[in-house]
Amino acid sequence: MSAVLKLLAGRLAISLLVLAGVSMLIFAIARVIPGDPARIALGPNATPEQVEKLRQELRLDQPIWLQYGHFLSDLSRGELGTSLYTNRPVTRDIAQFLPATLELILAAGILMICIGLPLGIVAAKNEGGFIDNLVRVVSLLGVSAPSFVWAVILMILFAFFLPLFPIAGRIGTQFDVPQITGFLFVDCLLTGKLDALADALWHVALPAFALALSGIGQAARLTRANMVETYRRPHIEMARSYGFPEWRIARKYAFRPSLIPSLTIIGLDFAAMLGNAFLVEAIFAWPGLSRYGVAVILRKDLNAIVGTVLIISAAFLIANLIVDLLIALINPRIRHGRDRS
Amino acid sequence: MTDNILDIQDLRLSFRSHGGVTEVLHGVSLSVAPEERVALVGESGSGKSVTARAVLGLLQSQRSAQITGRILFEGRDLASLSGANRRKLRGTKMSMIFQDPVSSLNPLFRIEDQFREVLRRSERSADMRRTREVAGKLLRDVSIDDPERVLASFPFQLSGGMNQRVMIAMALVNEPSLLIADEPGTALDVTVQDQTLKLMRKLADDRRAAVFFISHNLGVVREFSNRLYVIYQGRIVESGPTGSIFDDPRHPYTKALLAAVPRITRAGIPEIEESPEAFSAPCEIHETAGVAA
Ligand SMILES: Nc1ncnc2c1ncn2[C@@H]1O[C@H](COP(=O)(O)OP(=O)(O)OP(=O)(O)O)[C@@H](O)[C@H]1O
Ligand SMILES: [Mg+2]
Repeated sequence: MSAVLKLLAGRLAISLLVLAGVSMLIFAIARVIPGDPARIALGPNATPEQVEKLRQELRLDQPIWLQYGHFLSDLSRGELGTSLYTNRPVTRDIAQFLPATLELILAAGILMICIGLPLGIVAAKNEGGFIDNLVRVVSLLGVSAPSFVWAVILMILFAFFLPLFPIAGRIGTQFDVPQITGFLFVDCLLTGKLDALADALWHVALPAFALALSGIGQAARLTRANMVETYRRPHIEMARSYGFPEWRIARKYAFRPSLIPSLTIIGLDFAAMLGNAFLVEAIFAWPGLSRYGVAVILRKDLNAIVGTVLIISAAFLIANLIVDLLIALINPRIRHGRDRS
Repeated sequence: MTDNILDIQDLRLSFRSHGGVTEVLHGVSLSVAPEERVALVGESGSGKSVTARAVLGLLQSQRSAQITGRILFEGRDLASLSGANRRKLRGTKMSMIFQDPVSSLNPLFRIEDQFREVLRRSERSADMRRTREVAGKLLRDVSIDDPERVLASFPFQLSGGMNQRVMIAMALVNEPSLLIADEPGTALDVTVQDQTLKLMRKLADDRRAAVFFISHNLGVVREFSNRLYVIYQGRIVESGPTGSIFDDPRHPYTKALLAAVPRITRAGIPEIEESPEAFSAPCEIHETAGVAA
């Protein structure tokens, strides 16, 4: 177990370093792109004195390293400054918009794992057969178009021509779920509003599926390829020679070893979803971080840009950390090292 | 004849592929009597492993394989058994030791977990305590002094020779009446290979199990087996008691194999001069009293 902790500590340290690097980079880039945030915020009718006053409030008159120092001291107090766009603390804005985005990504991730992996397993078990070929075609289709294209296609097909699913939004307007955690599913459960939960699930289905499709395809293809390869290894033949049931061989002898390389890609797919979610959110009018992100970039809302990017980077790093941890838990070579204790 | 543990009669095997049908076994017949150690010797690709796999029933599920002939195990025709009944025999009444011990064990599970899985083939409720008890004893029998450590290890934490012994012990868990060994230890060095054979011989004797032993090296087989079959390109070309064949090899291929023995080093494959016409001469059978070849 200590090996896993050591690994985790190492990865955590690297993640923090990366996060520090990202913060510096985005801090600098946000300030280098042309346009004066104070001027944009105050509009064309503001006097030069007003603009100068705001610049001073924003500390834009100071050298950039001093600004970064202030940013760091804010951050250590858990603050990210005020947004010029909403006039509220950036942390509050993020707390409001992030849950919707995370919910969407989580739903997509669950779809990716619960559909992609079984498809890959079934295909590998029937290698060369009809099901295998079907899965291969379907998964190729999944990876062949980006998620925003799928979002449009799915919306036209299943929300417009065949109105099975709602066309936009996170929940019907007739429901009034009080905000407790910000996570709609959790709030519905906490308040016992099951009809609202059903409606929320119905709303998330289409955008989550659009977001997940390429991940499903990739997870299926990869799992299939790895499992087919594992099925050729000697330990499978040995398991068969002992007459273990075929499903058990599939699970313990073929799937488990194949999962290790698959997990890495699934982790990367999760990360890719963070980016793709922006477009899917825009198409389905999903009230997540994307609308906020786009708005603050257009307004050169420095604090909000830095805060949003940092949060997304942190989510990305956490996803990778979880994947590393899972791999370490599955793979005894990492868990126990090579020592013959 | 039905007293035999294993009786293979006119086994023919071919594989279908895009290129057509490849015949691999052209009517192999052989038998293994109780407590007998029988060797099947031939060069690479002669059809030794496929014969063993056919006995275990591992080829029958392969769509490209076409099999005819009869395989009788303890007098029962394996083809007449249902898939489930056939599977019941594997790992219980017959078990197999493989060539490459390290990659034949599941890399993700501790040795004790793998022992338990095997033990549960005969004792469905076997828990870890019972597993450690059974496996610990077997591991001592294969000269492993610290079974506790080995049981708690993963295959990658053990040496090749250790893994080999683990695999032998595992094959004996359910006290099979037939042990099939497909070139055990050839993936390892000669000394380990030698140890492996001595161990296997002793253990099989103690447990009164029959051994069907596969090798491409006649030299290895001499000490080990009572009886011997020489296979060349999917046909048995000579069979009889080991001593008799070594004293008086009759088939040209056997003679060539014997001549190659001194040149075999490590896990090498015999180099044999090509004279295929002579090698396709009819099968030579050394008759012995009591055992039908
Ligand atoms: N699944 C399969 N599909 C097609 N051909 C096969 C298959 N398995 C074995 N063969 C062919 O059957 C022949 C005999 O193979 P086998 O593995 O029995 O050889 P072997 O005598 O064990 O040789 P070696 O000493 O190298 O292990 C080979 O020519 C091999 O290419
Ligand atoms: Mg072989």
